[in-house]
Amino acid sequence: MNVLKVPARTIAIFVLPCLLLYIGTVFVPILVSFYTATLDWNGIGDAKFVGLANFHTLLFEDNNFWPSVKRTLMYSVFSMIEIPFCLLFAILLNRYVRKGSRLVTIYFVPVILSNVILGQLWKTIYNPTSMGGMLNGILIQLGLENWTHSWLTEPATAMYALYFVSLWQYFGYHLLIQFTGVQNIPDEIYEAAKIDGADGFKADRYITFPMIVPIFKISIVLAFIGSLQAFELVMVMTGGGPAHATDTIATHMYNMSFLSQKYGYGSAVATFLVVFCLIVTVVINFIFNKVERKVT
Amino acid sequence: MLKAKKGFVYLLFAILVVTQLYPLFWLLMYSLKTNEEILSGSFFSLPTIPQWHNYSEAYTSGSYLKYLGNSVLVTGVTLVAVIILSAMTAYAISRFKWKYGPYVLLLFLLGMMIPMQATLLPLMIIFKNLDLLDTRWSIIIPYTAFALPIAVFILSGFMRSIPTDIEESAFMDGASVYRIFRSIILPISMPPVMTVCILTFINIWNEYIVAATFISSENLKTLPFGVYTFVSQYSVNYGNIGAFLIMGALPVIIIYFLLSERITKGMVAGAVKG
Repeated sequence: MNVLKVPARTIAIFVLPCLLLYIGTVFVPILVSFYTATLDWNGIGDAKFVGLANFHTLLFEDNNFWPSVKRTLMYSVFSMIEIPFCLLFAILLNRYVRKGSRLVTIYFVPVILSNVILGQLWKTIYNPTSMGGMLNGILIQLGLENWTHSWLTEPATAMYALYFVSLWQYFGYHLLIQFTGVQNIPDEIYEAAKIDGADGFKADRYITFPMIVPIFKISIVLAFIGSLQAFELVMVMTGGGPAHATDTIATHMYNMSFLSQKYGYGSAVATFLVVFCLIVTVVINFIFNKVERKVT
Repeated sequence: MLKAKKGFVYLLFAILVVTQLYPLFWLLMYSLKTNEEILSGSFFSLPTIPQWHNYSEAYTSGSYLKYLGNSVLVTGVTLVAVIILSAMTAYAISRFKWKYGPYVLLLFLLGMMIPMQATLLPLMIIFKNLDLLDTRWSIIIPYTAFALPIAVFILSGFMRSIPTDIEESAFMDGASVYRIFRSIILPISMPPVMTVCILTFINIWNEYIVAATFISSENLKTLPFGVYTFVSQYSVNYGNIGAFLIMGALPVIIIYFLLSERITKGMVAGAVKG
């Protein structure tokens, strides 16, 4: 018995509740939003069909849109920067520290906390000197008073302040993933390599790196997709401000939909976000499949 | 040489402990200080006299227990719904003989790529028409739906690896497929079910935007939303805010302290399989 032959009714009982809830809450809204994207509608009054006008405005007239796309992509790039370091730390941890997993557990703490709490915490850290911000306090102690900023309310620094919080928050996550990957490489391989005269960096070059590629890919994909959807932290810390300086695609969509009450336009941004995410996911997988084939 | 290297590595990891934990420790100190101490802006100082009343004030002026209760209720219902729904579907995908099984799985995989934020506005319109806005269902439903793909994926992967012999003999003995599912498959699947629970719990317990979009009654707010409300309402007394943030973080910290190994393993399993 490879598979159970059961009546269609049984299959329906097992699958339909889940599938209906899922389609109704995930796919139906996406379709609805494709449709409302063609409307000029504030949610209350009459909706007017405007065809692709919203998309035209979005792509060619909205001065805040392309910068928000750029910031979203930058967010992804910044989130990926730390992953090679995490791999390096994971290798060191595995080689030199006994009970390394205990340490990883400590680094992991920020990952399990709510963005609301972390956002507020970092807001107080970034506060201007007059409000007792910790970062400015450190700079003053170091005699770098010129460097103090009101980090989150100055457009020039606000976005970098946000990138940094994400780096800090997800450091433990990526370290944990890489560390688990490194640990799972069997010791025998290293022992065999040692007999053949390869240890230390040489062993890493020919054993650790090729064997870790799939895990490395997972971290990259998670960082990339996570930051494409970078949203909650930004909403909590700046809401896209000051003066749109920290708007990402998702916060732009949210502000347009719920603050400006432009339902049609907000749906157009949402549609863009969905398509953008799908394309990027496909591209990333394509690139990595190529890399993987080359390395291994 | 080796010793120096080792010393350097230890130093590196010690610094990382500080950078990862010091902000949280700083918040703890912050929550025990007076406004003057906080505004003086020293980044490394203990409160002269711990202001424990910050906590009692935060507790009485916010509705901490109400928020906590709402979070427990919403998370609990969601977890049960996710487990039951995803386990049944995963079983059907991995064992039943029907044409569409692989397609159903594919549909769930496709859904993993859909950003949840994109559904906020249309869901609000749908919920408004169904009169569900500002009820607990308006957050339980999306929480459940968006937790399903990874759950179905993990569980169906596991169930496919269960040998069929047990089911075969149970079937011979006349057990119905429901019985087999309930008394054999579910108990065997406990480890991946735990993984699914952990992943779903961490996501839902901390979720803020969905709650803030669909809920407006004070009575229904979950903990992250409640913390946010408290912070924006009582922005004068910094110590109270710090105290409320610590109280907001406490439940998940306690759970993490008790189950850290399980949680980290579960999160990795979720990441690697997703």
